[in-house]
Amino acid sequence: MTAFVEMKQITKVYPNGVVANKGVDFSVEQGEIHALVGENGAGKSTLMKILYGLEAPTHGEIWLRGQRVDIPNPQRAIELGIGMVHQNFMLVPSFTIAENIVLGSEPRKGRFIDRAQAIAVTEELSKTYGLQVDPTARIEATPVGMRQRVEILKTLYRGADLLILDEPTAVLTPQETDELFIAIRKLVNQGKTVIFITHKLIEVKEISDRVTVMRHGEVTGCVATRNVTEADIARMMVGRAVFLQIDKPPVRRGRVVAEVRNLGYVAETGRPVLRNISFDVHAGEILGVAGVEGNGQTELVEVMTGLRPATTGEICVDGTPVQRQSPRRIRQSGVAHIPEDRLTNGVALDATIAENLVVDRYNRPPFTQRGVLSPQRIRKHAETLMRQFDIRAAGPDAPMRSLSGGNMQKVIVAREFSAEPVLLIAAQPTRGVDIGATEFVHNQLVAKRNEGKAVLLVSADLAEVMSLADRIAVMYKGEIVAILDNGPELTEEEIGLYMLGVRRQETATRAIKAA
Amino acid sequence: MRGMARFIEPVRIIAVVLIALAIGFVITALVSKEPVQAYTALLTGPLPRISFENGFEIKNINRFGNWLEESTTLILLGLAVSIVFRARQFSLGAEGQMLLGALMTAIIALKLSLPFPAHMLLALATAMMIGFLWGLVPGLLKAYLSVDEIVSTLMLNVIALQLFDLLLFNWLRDPAAGFVGTAPFPTSAVLPLLIPGTRVSLMTVLMLIAVVVVWFLMARTPFGFELKMLGANRKFAEYGGINTKRVIALSMAASGILAGLAGAHLSMGLLKRLTINLSPGLGFEGIVVALLARNDPRWVLLAGLFYGYLRTGAQIMERSSDVTREVVLIIQAIIILLITAERLFPFVQEWVQALRGRREMAVEGG
Repeated sequence: MTAFVEMKQITKVYPNGVVANKGVDFSVEQGEIHALVGENGAGKSTLMKILYGLEAPTHGEIWLRGQRVDIPNPQRAIELGIGMVHQNFMLVPSFTIAENIVLGSEPRKGRFIDRAQAIAVTEELSKTYGLQVDPTARIEATPVGMRQRVEILKTLYRGADLLILDEPTAVLTPQETDELFIAIRKLVNQGKTVIFITHKLIEVKEISDRVTVMRHGEVTGCVATRNVTEADIARMMVGRAVFLQIDKPPVRRGRVVAEVRNLGYVAETGRPVLRNISFDVHAGEILGVAGVEGNGQTELVEVMTGLRPATTGEICVDGTPVQRQSPRRIRQSGVAHIPEDRLTNGVALDATIAENLVVDRYNRPPFTQRGVLSPQRIRKHAETLMRQFDIRAAGPDAPMRSLSGGNMQKVIVAREFSAEPVLLIAAQPTRGVDIGATEFVHNQLVAKRNEGKAVLLVSADLAEVMSLADRIAVMYKGEIVAILDNGPELTEEEIGLYMLGVRRQETATRAIKAA
Repeated sequence: MRGMARFIEPVRIIAVVLIALAIGFVITALVSKEPVQAYTALLTGPLPRISFENGFEIKNINRFGNWLEESTTLILLGLAVSIVFRARQFSLGAEGQMLLGALMTAIIALKLSLPFPAHMLLALATAMMIGFLWGLVPGLLKAYLSVDEIVSTLMLNVIALQLFDLLLFNWLRDPAAGFVGTAPFPTSAVLPLLIPGTRVSLMTVLMLIAVVVVWFLMARTPFGFELKMLGANRKFAEYGGINTKRVIALSMAASGILAGLAGAHLSMGLLKRLTINLSPGLGFEGIVVALLARNDPRWVLLAGLFYGYLRTGAQIMERSSDVTREVVLIIQAIIILLITAERLFPFVQEWVQALRGRREMAVEGG
């Protein structure tokens, strides 16, 4: 039997050099619920965007119902019966549900939209597929779960046979999730096929017939769900990565540099993002923070560096409380920060390299003396750092925009390392940079540790954390669920179980302070 | 290599100016019976003529004066706008700040009697102060309450205009005058004349000082660096420790100082009194100057002189030919549009890029 959808040897290389998919083979049978799992950045979203015509593959073929097809845009995908429900809903808030469902291909009566017909169509679809909606309610007045059902009905109205659901449960309550699963089963009973993107293993077991696991842009396995356990899938997700060879002398822990106690952060939406977080970072050690992305790591770093205010709890750096202080005060107490989102926080693309290198110190001697700024000293400083950190660019006056990703990251590393911090917070420091720059950053982090600085390394790349960190804190749903000593006996599988919420350390037994 | 980049931009602007002037001529030719004469008036009108008919004599010095007077106001307004634009804040408050600056000088000039130069200096200082405050208000609103500065500055312009009219009608107006306006300012509160036969005053010198001060502020002070980083990427500036709220508020306030000074120029230098409809819309001309100059104070000086020349020439063209004011304004607008619309000239862009590419290759090779 030929597969319903077959993607063969799909490779996607983005213009900035990031390889999102490497020779991916992916196939889905007619009438199945197929889970596609992997960490953020594993390439699953890119693969689905290719299938839905949002991205063009660099290489590879797509076969649908035994025929080779080209999908240059979503319009074509819809014609072929492929529908996608995005994580962020694309609905018009001021329109009613019925209006949203028929939007773009409205039933007409003469020159006008036939509202009665739109409502009738919506009711019929709703009944057929068991997706409860109120056709006359405005989107802005409906709960998230219903909006999602509207998105699904929208794709069905356009005649989709294959539905791609991109992390559909991320925004749902457990009850809504249960309802969604019932609806999905009903859809399949009616002959539809569903691709379900997630990184929650419990859901994979509960809903899917088969599961394809991706990691680092490649497929690491495709199995029937009933034959495997959650731990098996976790292993495939996290994988046995090739360890990066890093020479690291044994840890020589000094004083406690950073002390985080009962830290909490509630987002503006009222959702608690960080809960009761406590840990220490010692001088001379690297504390790694592992976790599937979106479990609070970003917020933890931003709260610690002053970009977001902590809701509760304390942070001390060398004994000075710094919670809810400005980024400048926190920097003055000795914290440097390599930010996760380089282009948003880490650089100003329209400024020069020299200017980017002094954003934290332009107001101090030797750059400013008696209130006067010296562009010449700023340029000199840049020349020195560019030599020291091997930043390849036309010169200190070259715009940041002209640099490659790796060199941009070197500019950030050069600035933050030369700030002589006591605590260095590095978030995803090697994301999207080439192997050479990755190695460079790793060696620099270890060098700082050996100098006796405290390093907090947050990374979604478990191999990176395991090869660099002395201790590893694992985050899950805004909490630290374990703090583990890194050593030969610690396995990726064990960390993976904590990362995916399958296991958690008792708070009492947790080593907030290192032994 | 840096010299090259500096060279390309002026060449581009000059090329665009020439093209724009050519288009302007075509339009003139379409509407005028004597287009060459009319266009000559536009292009050479503001220049003084040296005549030897009755021995050495400089004629039309008043036209030359008009050019400098006009440019002085425009450059002050251009500087004001360039400060906020540099920080990528779109404050449109110069008009209101200018009006209030002029209003304050009238109050000081007419309601206080002091000797020169104390009287003049006090009037200038209050004009700058009111500009500062009228800029600080939308600055604080934007920084701390995220009030859109376009809306708030436009609203504050309306308030300023009504305040101006109210005080002028009910308090400052000279009932003996045949129009709505104040009595002439006492000489102790008038800016000293620089060139006889014109209205070019001390303000032209103050304007030159202001250019230097604003350049220094932008290029040689930590505040200038903060402005630039805020404009380049606000999140980056915050991450680096810059108090962006303070910078936003102060940039708008600093801008107001210069707009207030422009207002003082109108009242204390040009009119020597306050009249109704002081100069509607002039406050927005600073935006044109700042755009032409790419927010660089040094270029504001040149752009202001250029735009002032164009405006003065246009007035002369209107007076001395059959081309109507509306056509003159159209030509003026086309020239400005062409210069500010960067992407209208892809071939110039490509040419610039080709030069840049060659430059970069040279760098890598060497």
